[in-house]
Amino acid sequence: MMETELTEDIDQPLRDRLKAHPGPALLWGAGLCLLLLLEGPTYLDGLLGAIGFGLGLLPGAPGAEAFASASAFFSELPHLLSRELIPNRGYYDGSAWQGTFLGLEPKYAWLIRFLLVYAYVAVLLGWLWYGYVTFRRHYRAADWTPTDDVIDRLRSHYWGLFGLAVVVFFITMAAFAPVVGPTTAEENIQGPYSHDMQYYDADTETVETITIGEANLGSASRGSGDSNVGIWSYDDFGRFHPVGTLVSGKDLFTFLAFGARVSLFIGLGSMAIAGFIATTLALVTAYYKGVADLIVVLTSDSVQAMPALLLVILATVVFKNHWIAELYNGAMLFILLFALIRWPGLWRAVRGPALQVGEQEWVDAAKSYGQRPTVIMRKHMAPYILGYLLVYASLTLGGVIISVSALSFLGLGITAPTPEWGRAINIGQQYIASQSWHISLIPGILITLVVTGFNALSDGIRDAIDPQSEGAEGGAAGAAAGGGGG
Amino acid sequence: MSESVVDTVSHQTGETLVDVQDLKTYYEDGGLLGSDPVKAVDGVNFEIARGETFGLVGESGCGKTTLGRTLIQLETATSGAVSFDGTDITELSGGDLKEWRRNAQMVFQDPESSLNDRMTVGEIIREPLDVHEQGTARERREKVRTLLDQVGLMPEHYYRYPHQFSGGQRQRIGIARALALEPEFVVLDEPVSALDVSVQAQILNLLEELQEEFGLTYLFIAHDLSVVRHICDRVGVMYLGNLMEVGPTEQLFQSPENPYTRALLSAIPEPDPTVQVDRITLPGSPPSPRDPPEGCPFATRCPVRIRPEDIDASDAVWDRIREFRDVIRERSRAEQSVGERLKERLGFDTALADSEEIVEEEFDDVTLPPDVQEHVEQAATYLSDGDPDAARAYLREVFGGQCDTETPQYYDVDDRQMSFCHRHAQEHVSPGEELRQRGYDTHDG
Ligand code: SF4
Repeated sequence: MMETELTEDIDQPLRDRLKAHPGPALLWGAGLCLLLLLEGPTYLDGLLGAIGFGLGLLPGAPGAEAFASASAFFSELPHLLSRELIPNRGYYDGSAWQGTFLGLEPKYAWLIRFLLVYAYVAVLLGWLWYGYVTFRRHYRAADWTPTDDVIDRLRSHYWGLFGLAVVVFFITMAAFAPVVGPTTAEENIQGPYSHDMQYYDADTETVETITIGEANLGSASRGSGDSNVGIWSYDDFGRFHPVGTLVSGKDLFTFLAFGARVSLFIGLGSMAIAGFIATTLALVTAYYKGVADLIVVLTSDSVQAMPALLLVILATVVFKNHWIAELYNGAMLFILLFALIRWPGLWRAVRGPALQVGEQEWVDAAKSYGQRPTVIMRKHMAPYILGYLLVYASLTLGGVIISVSALSFLGLGITAPTPEWGRAINIGQQYIASQSWHISLIPGILITLVVTGFNALSDGIRDAIDPQSEGAEGGAAGAAAGGGGG
Repeated sequence: MSESVVDTVSHQTGETLVDVQDLKTYYEDGGLLGSDPVKAVDGVNFEIARGETFGLVGESGCGKTTLGRTLIQLETATSGAVSFDGTDITELSGGDLKEWRRNAQMVFQDPESSLNDRMTVGEIIREPLDVHEQGTARERREKVRTLLDQVGLMPEHYYRYPHQFSGGQRQRIGIARALALEPEFVVLDEPVSALDVSVQAQILNLLEELQEEFGLTYLFIAHDLSVVRHICDRVGVMYLGNLMEVGPTEQLFQSPENPYTRALLSAIPEPDPTVQVDRITLPGSPPSPRDPPEGCPFATRCPVRIRPEDIDASDAVWDRIREFRDVIRERSRAEQSVGERLKERLGFDTALADSEEIVEEEFDDVTLPPDVQEHVEQAATYLSDGDPDAARAYLREVFGGQCDTETPQYYDVDDRQMSFCHRHAQEHVSPGEELRQRGYDTHDG
């Protein structure tokens, strides 16, 4: 099918090829628009909110107000995945459920919304993949690229795909945290006494109104006696808790969903910064060698020589009342700290590949016709080390997540009331042998799962970019073990 | 015939394009701080005429590739000048250098390594045009198509990746990239050595066709002498950073003058098997370019080295002396390297530990004249005192002739042929004569 197009005009750039044969692209674009529109308000709300938040950090906060209110406006608009469309809270008035989606039990209403979120993400990702396939089939001039092989290998790497699925699961949970939980963080966790709810009192046969805070007192999981709301159960107020409640009576699932946000935010944020530093330094040292290399070796050695956990603890104490520790309840501080601590490890991982690619004759060739050093590094060297960076960043990311949880477990991490997995483990620790075991165990399992997921993904990428390396890897275990140390 | 030439005078009837004057390229290769630099190119003079193919031959590590890279400013010259069409390019920098670069391009040795595998063939060939912003995007693509055609590839190869090509085809892509900016001068760094023999001829023919078509000037670096003989107009023979002999190809192959060239050419298998020619096998290995000999670079291995007149010894004894000096030389170099010293201290390097043993090993089956015996013992004393440097200097003093102390000059040995050897001076026996006297067969009568 490529043959005819090729002989017609080999030089057509992508734009012309699209013009010549727009059908598949239009179809795909329309589908994408539809998918995005379904959730449009969420995206706009998030985007504008983030801009507003960013502006708020600047002195004088120019325009932050406007963005915040625009973001609030969009958050009111109806969209597919919303609590308003599929409400799961209501009360049982003796004969039927009031206020829930189609009068279903809260359990099923929540489940439908939860599954709908994942179905939406699955369709969206599937559609993006379809877009790539469409591009490959109809618009890409090359009928084969080296990336094709990488993708093919990853597609048949089941352990890697498992990792990818786990990672997508958690990212979705974090991104849609306000929708996937049976309740919201704001109502249930942050300000329970500022929000009311209604429930049906079977004794008096009336619908009562009560603050959520008071209701939480009655739904606490404290291990002994009646005081436990376990997995997949209702509390006395007709609220459904998929994985039970905390000691304070707050919903654990909601807590975990928002906790995923913090963990992934810190993990991805610190890896993005550390990865950027590592790549830049690896390219510069591989290109210029000599003194540049020596300086970076010394710097990274001194960073690695510092006791990381102590440093983090020290920093949390020193910056306790600093504005930087206020950002997202300390998450920003952790991003910077972990980026600082982790870049040397990443740099070491990509230094070898960078030096190797720097020795290639195509780099000399580019120099010989006067290509700029920055372009040589970006175009002729960076593509060869990004794969390795991905491998090690996703390994390290697991370690960061463990570290953050460990700190929260020690009471040093993300400050309450912002949910964090490690804190739930800490809180539930003393009830682990009682009927309220879910408080510690569920977040513990989640952490293990997400770290395993990132490791599996990293294995998959490694085997995909470098099929020879299979089995010859001691770094995975080492990095995961080192990850716990902070 | 032994007329000394102080400066290199153009021997070419044509116009000179590249004029290399006393060029030196040294580099520190990472290593320990303060270690000696590698003297890859150590004072080289020659010229390349417009439109000719100048071959550069020599064993690997002799500096020919570094010389080629210096000529297109991939390496920075330590001293000396390279004048290209009258401009000293070693002085260029910034925008001027970038502008000049379009005049001189390179075809690399390893087609596996010379093309970025993540780019399409079109992008690879187009990049030089993009860097120098030649024409519009469409014109550049058009130019790439023309280039693909000129090097014998198809227009539809534009969107293929290097992985999809054979070694010979990849080398064609590399050639197209080198020609994209329409350079006058192209350095070909062993362009066919990585290819199958069957493909080599095709690529060489292509290079010759392109030279004709575009009036290119080539510097052809190679270690395969038969390829050089086939394609080059003139040849320079390099050894340890120095140009030992330069001359028109056929003339140089028929009647080499310099002792090193003779040795190098005697390694080519004789096409006629009935002709028995003894190879001149060179003893030892080339010295380290960090620590080249002081006089003639070839002095440590030369079969016709000039001997001091005051010592009268047989050829066999001289052989042993040469070996002995090699051993001492190795040893004094070993002293310079921290790692070696450490090794020795830890007891790894015991083979050379005892000076008595060394002397015995070298000289046990020859009888030494008394004066030689005396000198050897003196050196052994220095050695057992733990001072190999002194031993080395002493041996050089007593056994070293002119070859060890004075750098030779270039002598005109034939029409447009120059050789870098003391033996062309009037007072000495010529290399060929001396070789015969010392019992070697030589090409020429
Ligand atoms: S100068 Fe001396 S050592 Fe050098 S090639 Fe001539 S004879 Fe040999």
